[in-house]
Amino acid sequence: MIEIVILGRGGQGAQTAGNLLARAYFAQGFYVQSFSTYGGARRGTPVMSSLRADSQPIGLRCNITRATGLLCFDDSLLDDGFLSLAGEGALIVVNSARAAQALSKPGRPPVISIDGRAIARRNHMGKVVNSALLGGFVAALGQPDIDTMCGIIEVTAPAKKAENIAACREAYGLISGLAERA
Amino acid sequence: MNAPLKNRNLKLLNGNHAVAWGVRLAAPDVAPLYPITPQTPILEKLIEFQSQDLFDAELLTPESEHSAMASAISASALGARVFTATSSQGLLLMHELLHYAAGARVPIVMFNVNRTPAAPWGFWPDQIDSLAQRDTGWVQLYCENPQDSLDTVIQAFRIAETTELPVMVNHDAFWVSHSVEPVDLPAADLVQSFLPRVKRSVQMELGTGRALSAPADQASWNLSRRDMDVAMHKVPGLIDAAGREWGDLTGRVSAPVETDRCDDAEIVFVTMGSMAGTAREAVNRLRDTGIRAGLVKVRLFRPLPVAELRDVLAGVPGALVLDRNYSPGTGGVLHQELKSALFGINEAPNLFGLLTGVGGINVPVETLVSLAQEYRGADPVSDPVWVE
Repeated sequence: MIEIVILGRGGQGAQTAGNLLARAYFAQGFYVQSFSTYGGARRGTPVMSSLRADSQPIGLRCNITRATGLLCFDDSLLDDGFLSLAGEGALIVVNSARAAQALSKPGRPPVISIDGRAIARRNHMGKVVNSALLGGFVAALGQPDIDTMCGIIEVTAPAKKAENIAACREAYGLISGLAERA
Repeated sequence: MNAPLKNRNLKLLNGNHAVAWGVRLAAPDVAPLYPITPQTPILEKLIEFQSQDLFDAELLTPESEHSAMASAISASALGARVFTATSSQGLLLMHELLHYAAGARVPIVMFNVNRTPAAPWGFWPDQIDSLAQRDTGWVQLYCENPQDSLDTVIQAFRIAETTELPVMVNHDAFWVSHSVEPVDLPAADLVQSFLPRVKRSVQMELGTGRALSAPADQASWNLSRRDMDVAMHKVPGLIDAAGREWGDLTGRVSAPVETDRCDDAEIVFVTMGSMAGTAREAVNRLRDTGIRAGLVKVRLFRPLPVAELRDVLAGVPGALVLDRNYSPGTGGVLHQELKSALFGINEAPNLFGLLTGVGGINVPVETLVSLAQEYRGADPVSDPVWVE
């Protein structure tokens, strides 16, 4: 089973990103379960979105505690509590203008840094980073495939469809390139 | 991994939107609704359907849940098929009129999203809001996942209209209400034939001279409860029959009490709602380690299907009752009810009342596995146990 946790701040689109990623896995034939808890959330407070994908129907109704992948929308939220959700060998992607080395600390698992804000700006998306982060994240995970991901963005984006897709593909290319160089 | 869903006709929906789809297919005439987190997506989706001419019920948006239920009672008394939905504080505000609706025998279907009541203020999955209404005369059903919620809300209209009892269907906040999953949508004509319009035994109409809930003497009031008692006794059988017929139509069978791997079980989990999903996974893991575990899912809580529970649990050495609720001064409500239901049977299980997930705290599958290992073969404990 694939288990993913996305952490962001209210209004950044972490919940939307979780649902879009679920749609992409679903489009590729997986059973999915995408859920979030936000209580009295308001703009700026931490919001967590979780996703399971499997070849079998998913019955679990509990939090993810050993994730296959973590996506952090804001490097100020990257703390030991969030990182403790990572399972062994988990892929961790962080939206940050800082390099991955600058985000690492002794004892922490390695992370992949992606400057979603810069990619969003280059693609005329302003501060809206979730399409870029999804592109980078699916590149790190190796699935779902980028064409499926962009197809989901195309049918769901309320505006700037081409810009959203361009941001997603640029981030995908950057992270895929990192993986190839590694 | 395989791609098993490629050829299936499934739609990704969260639990609340699955409910709204079920309601749209059941085609009520009137739907008085007041928004409240985490129920609001049900209302929003129904409004969206109506804006697209896909849902032509009269949608009323009164100033409170109390008024929503008052509208529902009035509309239902006039023969309309009526749906409403609420959660937590909203349900508690309706409390007075829940008794009224049941006593007036109006077959309203209400969906409640289980959420912690204040204080302290919270939005978390906990079933005490609806369990606290157990004596109002409403049938109560609990759903495990979005598909279950869609199927059950449709079946609820049949149960309500056949028995002339109001039916409350529940699912847990967030774990079900906001969980997006593949859901199979039945065809509209299938639902239409499953839910034929039923003529009421007594219906308010202009010119009949009938009044709703006129003052009654003691004997009449007593008789009204005896009549409700008769109707309540019919409910488990009707729900079983509806679940089997629905199974023939959709492939998804349901029953008042559902079991998994209980035949040779030495220890079983007994629970309601979304906890059943995690418990089922715990059962599978325990079986892999040689512990003969099983699951009893109580889908119908009111009336409590006593005969079915006695039949399923007789001879099982141990039963762990997982309550996502707490009744102060006693413990878990399902635990209390089971102690009563199993009284006097031969080979009653050792019953353990475990307060798991109260206030919406996370209950991982590993916790349930550990609990089964700990209580397997243990002596009975009468007091409830708080689980960290």
